[in-house]
This record gives sequence, structure tokens and C-alpha cells, in this order.
Amino acid sequence: MKPPWVRPRAVVGLLAVCAVLAVGPLLHGDLYAHNLVTLTFLGIAAALAWNWLGGYLGQVSFGHAAMFGLGGFVAARAQISLNMPMVPAWVFGGLVAGLYALVWGHPTLRLRGPYFSIATIGVGEATRLVCTYWDWLTGGSSGLSLPMQVGLKYRLYWYGLVLAALAVAGSYVLRRSPLGLSLLAIKSDVDAASDVGVSSTRLQDLVLFISGATMGLCGGFYASYFSYIEPGDMFGFDRSISWVLMGVIGGIGTIVGPALGAVIFVLVRQFLIASYPQLYLGLYGVLLVLVILFEPLGLTGLALRLAHRFGYRERPDLAT
Amino acid sequence: MTVMLRAEGISKRFGGLKAVDGVNLSLREGEILGLIGPNGAGKSTLFSMLAGSIPPTSGRFFLGGSELTGKPAFRIARAGVVRTHQIVRPFSMLTLAENVMVAASSCGRNRALARKSLQFAGIDERRHEYPMRLTLAGRKRLEMARALATAPRVLLLDEVIAGVNPVEAQEMTRLIRRARDELGVSIVMTEHVMPAVMSLANHLIVLDAGKLIAEGSPGEIVHNPAVIAAYLGKAHAG
Repeated sequence: MKPPWVRPRAVVGLLAVCAVLAVGPLLHGDLYAHNLVTLTFLGIAAALAWNWLGGYLGQVSFGHAAMFGLGGFVAARAQISLNMPMVPAWVFGGLVAGLYALVWGHPTLRLRGPYFSIATIGVGEATRLVCTYWDWLTGGSSGLSLPMQVGLKYRLYWYGLVLAALAVAGSYVLRRSPLGLSLLAIKSDVDAASDVGVSSTRLQDLVLFISGATMGLCGGFYASYFSYIEPGDMFGFDRSISWVLMGVIGGIGTIVGPALGAVIFVLVRQFLIASYPQLYLGLYGVLLVLVILFEPLGLTGLALRLAHRFGYRERPDLAT
Repeated sequence: MTVMLRAEGISKRFGGLKAVDGVNLSLREGEILGLIGPNGAGKSTLFSMLAGSIPPTSGRFFLGGSELTGKPAFRIARAGVVRTHQIVRPFSMLTLAENVMVAASSCGRNRALARKSLQFAGIDERRHEYPMRLTLAGRKRLEMARALATAPRVLLLDEVIAGVNPVEAQEMTRLIRRARDELGVSIVMTEHVMPAVMSLANHLIVLDAGKLIAEGSPGEIVHNPAVIAAYLGKAHAG
């Protein structure tokens, strides 16, 4: 029996979009677009995973690249040294990344708001430094190369689609399940939540684990996709920032907003890096300021506002 | 009648200040216990200790036979002692329905009870709205509904009547009485609105400067010289 909080319309919508995206590459041979869409899938999965912690729970992390990088390197190392098959290696990398998140997160999640965010900057940078010098795991600053497989990069499109679709479904289920409601309650008022029986420590740890493990899985996917990874890129601070930006642009705390933000982010970056490489970070800055000033719910808020203008009335709880 | 909630010599010290000083109280099943006293008497501190928000410096308290001293707030709530807040604290990002759902599911109750508690509090028609849209009285009802959704054995009501208009105050009074009579919840309440607490409480205890200075039925308390002195000064106590 399906839980009463899953709406048939949402399931059908997700399946339809996935079906179109799944057959898309068979109808055209554009490798550039193929590559871009695959990277967008990765962005969607990672931005949503970030949002479970940063949006639902309201604990904004500036250090999620730590889990992305760790998951990527563990998955790569497992494939190189243990001959582990690709997908199990991703899952293994994800689990390690999730556990790592618990190690630093269990103590730091007692901090709230900006204090937690500052702590995550430290965690991200410390992890980057340690891993840069940890030759055995990461190959040091020269990085790791995975064995090349012919045609793998092309096939990874569908793996990426599955990953993104699972992340969207996960976001939806998480937001509407009792767990998701409890996370929002903790975000609203952690003491009042405890007063009605919400075990905030355990739930915060749980969502951090899920978020970190998904990040690690994304890192594993990234490693397989580029078949070469190095710590400076995997653990980069700008990588952590990119997920914050995707969330803010799309709408922090909304179900699909960050996915929308990821699409915009990847496309804009691709266009700007090609044409105006020196403008690219500046434009994100401007975008960030505009969103924060005028529409705190990002594109999702904008879309809802337009929908209202045209007389569309939806149950308010769908918005976020 | 059996004793539901019992506190023995419970104290709270903030540095050099004894906010609550060795208070004993017992709440019998199906009873409303009123906790009154002038401002700064330690009522809210005592409440926070009973709900587990702050740990007592010394003393113990029990629900039925089991000791709750020093347990975290969420465990005390799950055990069946749930509080409301004097300054309302709704989950602003959740609809009313979701507010009560969180409370119910955290304590292992089902959706039906969550819905019933909204109906009981008279805010069910607005269940898809956000707490921001409610008046203060509405939000106080939400505090009640959210606490009742956990199916508590003991309800701690912190000034749920104060601050609303007289009509709403009467409805709130009726709601509290119904919670005791229809749902069988035992209640400890602090209240500044004296007529309400006098008509509701089976038993009153009076705090002043952290100490319990009197207890008894409402009729006995209003004539107690110590209570009159605490509220009005010694000149009126004779």
C-alpha cells in the first residue's frame, strides 16, 4: 500500500520526464548536448542531496565537497585496487562518505545557523588538505586514473538519469514523510520540536548521513565519468559553493527547486566559461544578490508567484 | 485516586539565585492542578524542569512509577508529559495539519489522532493554512492541539489563556475542562487569569520566590494570609 502522502500525479510526471530523457539520445547524435545533460543529472542529484540538509533541516553546509571527494576517491580506489565493479564501488564510496559525515557532523550539528556553516568550511578545507597529502588513497596532487572503458562515458548518461530521478523521488518522499516534517519542525524551532517528542539529534544525524552518502555516490559517478580525478578539483571550495548556489537559485528547502537551480547553473556555466570566462563568478554573485533581495524562494518562488497571477490555486503545502 | 506526576524536593539554582527551591507537588489522575504565584515566583522554571527543557539542580520527579529526572525533553514527551508554551512556538514552516502530524508521529501516534486533536481544538477547517495566518488565540489552540496529538497522560499548560480576549478566554477554559473530562488528561496549569484558574483547578499550589508557600482548594487559597501577602503585600494580609 502506498503511503497517503505520495500523489499519483507527481509519480506520473516524474516517470514521463524520465521516459523522454531516456529515449532522447537515441533520437539525436549530439555528443555535446549528451555530455551537458549528463553533467546536469549529476548536478541535480548533488544539489538535491545538499538541500536535504541545507534546505529541509536548514543547516547550510559549505563543505559538502568533502563527502563528494571522499566518495569519489574511495570508489576509484576500490575499483583500482580491489577490482570492485563500478556501481558497488559507488555505493561503497557513498557509505564511507556518509559515515565520514557523521564523524564530523554529530558534534557540529549541535551548532545552528551561521555557526554550523562556518564549521563546515573548516571541515571542507581540512579534508581537502589531508586528502591532498594522502598519497595512498588519492595519489596525492597528481590524482588517480581509472582504467578506460570504451563507450562507458556515453552509457553513463542513463546511470546519471537514474541517479537524478532517484534523488528527485527521494526529495519528494523525504519532504512529505513524517521524517521530512520533523526536519522542518526542527528547522522552525528545535526546542519546541523536542517538547513534542522529536528526537532532534538522531534525525539530524540521519539526514546528514543520507545527504553525505548521496554526495559520495555522486563523487563516485564523477570519477567514473571523467576517469581521472585529483584532490584539488574533487575537494575544491568552489564545488561546495556551487551546490549552495544551485539551492539558492532554485529555491532552498523546496522539493524540486534545487534541481531547477542545477539545470540553470550547469547551462549558464557552460555558456559563460566558453564566452566570458572572467565574468562567470561575478554573474553568480549578481544572481545570488538578486534572489536573496527579491525572491528568497528562488525560481520556485517566482514560478509560484506567476502561477498565482494567472489564477492557479494550489494547496499551499505543495510549494515547499 | 492514583498519583500521575510527582515531584520531590525539586530545585533549580541559577548561579546564586534559587529560582525554584525544594518544591514538592503531586498531580492526581484526572485532576487539574493550578500553579500560581506572582511574577518571578519560579513557575516557568518549574514547568521547564517538568518538561525536561532544563535539568533540575536537585530533586526528582516521577510519572506513575517511572522516574523522569534528567531525561531529555523528547523522552519525557514520549513518556507522556507534554507542555505548551507561554509565548506560542508553532512550527512556522508547516501547515496546521503538519504541525500536529509531527507531534503525533514522533510519539508513535497515528494520523487519525492528529486530525482529531485539530478538531478538538476547533481549528480543523484551517488545517491547510500556515500558523502565521492565525490569531494569537488560534495559535494558542494550535499549541493545545499539538500537545494533545501526542496522546499525553499529563499536559503542562503554560499560560494558555493569558493574552486572548474574554470570549476566547472562555472558550479556552471550556477546552481545558473538556480535555480533562473527555480525554482523561491530567493537567498542570500556570495562569495569570485568576477567574479561569479558580474555576478550573481542583487543587492549587502557590509559589513565591521559588518556594511553595501554600496549597489547597481554590476556596482555601483565596483566604490564605501567606498568599495574600505574596500578591498584595503584608499590609493586606491581616
